[in-house]
Amino acid sequence: MGVMAEAGLMQAATAVIAQRAGVAHGTVFAHFRTREDLLCAVIEELGARVTRRLHELSVGNRGLLDLLEAHVQGLVENERLYTRLVAERPLIPPRARSTLVMIQSVVSFHVGEALEREAGQGRPRRLPLHLLFNTWLGLLHHYLLHADLFSPGEASVLRQHGPTLVRYFLALVADERSV
Amino acid sequence: MQPKTCIACGMPMSRPADFALGDVNKEYCVHCARPDGSMQSYVEKLQSLTAFIVRTQGLDERAAREGAAAMMARLPAWKDHPAGSP
Repeated sequence: MGVMAEAGLMQAATAVIAQRAGVAHGTVFAHFRTREDLLCAVIEELGARVTRRLHELSVGNRGLLDLLEAHVQGLVENERLYTRLVAERPLIPPRARSTLVMIQSVVSFHVGEALEREAGQGRPRRLPLHLLFNTWLGLLHHYLLHADLFSPGEASVLRQHGPTLVRYFLALVADERSV
Repeated sequence: MQPKTCIACGMPMSRPADFALGDVNKEYCVHCARPDGSMQSYVEKLQSLTAFIVRTQGLDERAAREGAAAMMARLPAWKDHPAGSP
C-alpha cells in the first residue's frame, strides 16, 4: 500500500513492491495472479480501512460534527493512498473504480442519518442531500488534490486544515440543522 | 470484537436496531429486509442501492447502477450471482 501511495496506483512497480515487502519478485505473483489483481486488493483494503474507521468513530448516533471529524480522521490515516485513488480513479480497472463509490456510499449514509437526526423529525430538508454531500466532498478533495499549495512540506493537508473545513461546512449547513 | 456485517450490503451491524426485525441472529440488516423480515432479492437490492446512490451522491443512474452492482458482487449474499443477470 505504501509503494502505491508514494509512486501512484498505475506507476508503482511490482519489483519495488516486492523489495519493500522483503520477498522475491515472483512471490508477488504467487499471491496475485496479475498486477491488476494486486491493485484491486490494495484499493479494496483501503476502502475497508476508511469505512471501518468511520463506523468505529461514529458509533452511537453521534451528531454531524463528530461524524465529519471521524471522516477526516479516517482519511488522514490513509491520506496519500486515498488521494491517489481520487486522482487516478478514471485510469484504474473498472472493478477497482467502484471502491470510491462504495466509500462515498458509506459516508453519505452516515451524513444523511446525522442530518436527519439533527433537523428534527418530519422537518423538510431545504437542500438536496447529494448537493450537501458533494459540497463536503468537493472541499476535502480540493485540499487533498492540491496539498502542495495548502500544506507544502506537511505529511497531511487534512490534519492541518480538516478542523477548519469541518467548522466551515457546519456553518454552511446551519439552516439544515436545529442544534 | 468486530461487529457482524450485513451479507447483502456490507453495513456493520452493531446494535439490535441494525438487524432485520431487530433479530441479532439474522445475517442481513434492516435496510436489506422486506417488511415481512425476509431478505430482499438481488433485483430489489440492486434497485434500492442504485436509488440510494443517486439520492445521496447525485450520480448518473447508469453509473450508480454499475457502482451498486460492483459493490454487491463482493458481498457474500450475491457473490455467486452471475454478472449482468437480473
